[in-house]
Amino acid sequence: MPGRSAGLVGLAVALSLGAASAAAQTDEDELALAYGDQRSVSIAAGSRQSLRQAPAVASVITAEAIAAMGAVDLDEVLQTVAGLHVGRSANQYMPLYIFRGIYSQFNPQVLLLQNGVPMTTMFVGNKGNLWAGYPVEDIARIEVIRGPGSALYGADAYAGVINIVTKSAQDARGTAVGLRGGSFDTRDGWVLHGGKLGPLDLSAYLRVGATDGARSLIEHDAAQPAVTHAPGPLTLSHDAVDANLELALERWRAHVGYKLRSDVGSAAGVASALDPVGRGRSERTHADLSWTEPELGNGWGAGMQASVLRYVDLATTNYVLLPAGTTLGPGNVFTDGLIGGPNKWERQMRVSAFATYSGFSGHSLRVGIGHDDLNLYKTTEYKNFNPNYSRIGTGSFGDVTDFSDTLLKFMLPQRRRVDYLYAQDEWRLHPDWNLTAGVRRDHYSDFGDTTNPRLALVWSAAYDVTVKLMHGRAFRAPSFNEQYSINNPVVGGNPAIKPETIGTTEAAFAWTPADTLQMQLTLFRYQMRDIIRSAPNPNAPPAGLIQNRGGQDGRGAEFELVWDASRSLRLSGNLALQRSVDTTTETDAGYAPHRRAYLQADWVVARGTSISGQLNHVASRARPAGDARAPVKDYTTLDMSARTRLGASDWELSLMLRNLFGADAREPSLAGGGIVNDLPVAPRAAYVQAVYRY
Amino acid sequence: MQLTEPAVPASRRALLRQALGGALVLAGGAAPAADAGRGLAVVYPDLGDPFRQVFTSIIEGIEDKLGGTVTSIAVANEASLTQVADDIRKRGVQVLIGLGRGGMRIAASLATEMAVLVGCVVSVQEAEARTFPVHTLAPDPALLLARLKRLRPAARRVHLVYDPKLNGWLARLAREAARAESLELQAQEAADPAEALRAYTQLLAAADPARDALWLPQDPTTVDDNAVLPLVLREGWNRNVAVFSSHLAHVKRGALFSLYPDNRELGRTLAAAAQRLLSAPKAVAPGVLPLRQARAAINIRTAAHLGIDVAAVQSGFDLVYPSN
Repeated sequence: MPGRSAGLVGLAVALSLGAASAAAQTDEDELALAYGDQRSVSIAAGSRQSLRQAPAVASVITAEAIAAMGAVDLDEVLQTVAGLHVGRSANQYMPLYIFRGIYSQFNPQVLLLQNGVPMTTMFVGNKGNLWAGYPVEDIARIEVIRGPGSALYGADAYAGVINIVTKSAQDARGTAVGLRGGSFDTRDGWVLHGGKLGPLDLSAYLRVGATDGARSLIEHDAAQPAVTHAPGPLTLSHDAVDANLELALERWRAHVGYKLRSDVGSAAGVASALDPVGRGRSERTHADLSWTEPELGNGWGAGMQASVLRYVDLATTNYVLLPAGTTLGPGNVFTDGLIGGPNKWERQMRVSAFATYSGFSGHSLRVGIGHDDLNLYKTTEYKNFNPNYSRIGTGSFGDVTDFSDTLLKFMLPQRRRVDYLYAQDEWRLHPDWNLTAGVRRDHYSDFGDTTNPRLALVWSAAYDVTVKLMHGRAFRAPSFNEQYSINNPVVGGNPAIKPETIGTTEAAFAWTPADTLQMQLTLFRYQMRDIIRSAPNPNAPPAGLIQNRGGQDGRGAEFELVWDASRSLRLSGNLALQRSVDTTTETDAGYAPHRRAYLQADWVVARGTSISGQLNHVASRARPAGDARAPVKDYTTLDMSARTRLGASDWELSLMLRNLFGADAREPSLAGGGIVNDLPVAPRAAYVQAVYRY
Repeated sequence: MQLTEPAVPASRRALLRQALGGALVLAGGAAPAADAGRGLAVVYPDLGDPFRQVFTSIIEGIEDKLGGTVTSIAVANEASLTQVADDIRKRGVQVLIGLGRGGMRIAASLATEMAVLVGCVVSVQEAEARTFPVHTLAPDPALLLARLKRLRPAARRVHLVYDPKLNGWLARLAREAARAESLELQAQEAADPAEALRAYTQLLAAADPARDALWLPQDPTTVDDNAVLPLVLREGWNRNVAVFSSHLAHVKRGALFSLYPDNRELGRTLAAAAQRLLSAPKAVAPGVLPLRQARAAINIRTAAHLGIDVAAVQSGFDLVYPSN
């Protein structure tokens, strides 16, 4: 939704222009006359523009909007997007970005990009279970596309695509130093700098943080009643280091990034049994280099990109999957519990190139080609149990055995290569009608080929009305865990599985009845097929085998609104409705909210001082077939934030209050997982932040 | 001639300012006037982001051109004009560049004592520019009309409604520019918003979509965002009349195209003008000048609606709306 991007100070300035007389012009009024509102000023001052690639139902959230809402983590920002609900996995409390009712345990149906490069890890096909948050200080903007994007982005652009664009030298400009602290002994410090390094534009960011995490109570877990730690608290502690460096020279741009999460608690336990002992560590190191030349001459443009990623996910203190005294069959008592420590090392290399051509009247062509080399090159595992869950020795800490060099570990190293080719034409059929058609073909070294087309018809129906009709097919590639998991008596991988597919049809109506009011209504329906899930295995063990089984049909509507109620007050919000049905059981697909409403008010109290409030209502979450529990409880949270610049100084102080009224917010735990009363989230919390800019 | 002051780089000045902690924000206040009597200073209003970025970019452009750092003075809204002027005098500044309205006030108060020029202002009355040159942010009509001609080769007539007190100078320039592009400029004066609204209503009703275009200047009197702008953009769309603007934000709302400042280039131009002012003061005439260091923005939705081949023209623009 376009309106989200304008910041408040600029908004106030822009709105004041109509009434302002020449004599009463302030400096801001003057500049706004030439540069526009705050967002336009930022762009005119050199920020990068969104890469316009294809029509879609998209939202762009800028650094200004993120600052206005007082968000400190990516999840808080994404929660504001219509049709996107942020849930939680019991395992490390990894956030689940649930688009339009498409819920799953590990959330591989969403493609998360950083500066256009996938953040996907191969083991479970998501952003990594040891995620533990993503800070916002270095984010220039977040682009969210609801719906399919495989025709351009390939695998996993299935339910939605999220692209995090980090700050360039122009965005960061100068130096900012920030400190933040608050509830759960959370403390963060960061420095962000944007400037020149000789002829290069440089932006650098370093953040160091730690938290003990909320110790919300889990009442019942998967452990046996005699030995359980429940009722007991979640373990959400972790330490964090984030660093990003961007160097740019003319058409060239390079990024180097680092994301470390260490001493990460297991939240509600890796096996849904509370584990106060186990600790994990994830380390993500990545680099990319890109060159873009939109105007080579004669209507041609071109670009290329190369990137590398190294991702390591370790159990630095082995997980106690089930607590001390757990008995799994006669005489099979684990003295210190069922202990395991799987570790993975991944290396990914991606190269791609594209060309654009606008030499045919009324057409904009784009073609691209690429190659990915995705390598889970090392796995190790330490455990005190055998693949059939019989204990080793007495099942003590001392009995933990190194299985790394055996065939009895959870997975052997795996590698996948992908080659792809895509083409897209944007055809102006008529002055007010635009048809975009695109198709991408991917060849995977493991499961073969997949072809995904997309069509979008955009009609400028009137000066203030745009209608879009879109249809696309998308896929998510099976994760290595789904293909190659071994020695797990509960579920086994299946190398023969195919990608999970989706076909989505959308209609979007955008109406701007006044300059101060923007509305958008989106209707959608989708059909998921060949869903990758565990199904009973006639040749057990393992009891279940990963298979392409069944489908899910969904439909829904999203309504979004931005209203500049006065020169200092902006109200924005959305209402998202969805209903999705499992085609096998013909019952609700479960866990995702049927109804979600979000309302945000941003008020500029005085120059340099603003207050924001956000109301988030999550409602009507049914359980799927096989889960007899009552529906997940609805909740409504109120978050508030205030920020002020201290007089004429370069200091800015902020106060953020989360879940002000202490609502009992919960996200669903999975059926049969042992956590009966769902996962407590969004505890009441307060943070203060000081930022100094120079 | 040495124009730079080898004192404290602009970025460090903010630190000094913080250390001094005064409400009177003199960014260069603590800098030793090492090169007294030979320096160039830039004075500008101390605004929050992103407006601050505009001045920073312009100063970067100035420093680029001069090959070194310059004394830059950020003046808080509540600062005493006399005190700031005194400080500048003490530094022995030879040429002062005032940026923004805040900078122009200080430059005006020192215009009899040193060479001054002003940049980065809008809506300047000609009386304000009698003694020194003022580089405004109003895009040069010649650039605007040349762009129009490229996008709409069939255009023959351009309508402009303007406040003569603010934009009389611009209308004069526009007439010359129109002649050069074989266009006829229909410029109407309007002294208040109501008169402007009447003028727009009439001219849109009579406009010939094939030949006529409408230009919205930076003019708070005649371009009111709440009444005039929606009317002009809606009627322009319905009647297929090209509406272009000197105001970047209008492109996002539906104007065909606009020009907006290239801050760094503007800085370089101001530095070159300052150098000329020092070396040959007589050769530099006072008066209001349009913006020539401009980037361009286009609304491709509007362009397509007007029948323009978007794919062919889009690459000539720095900003493209809408973004998706």
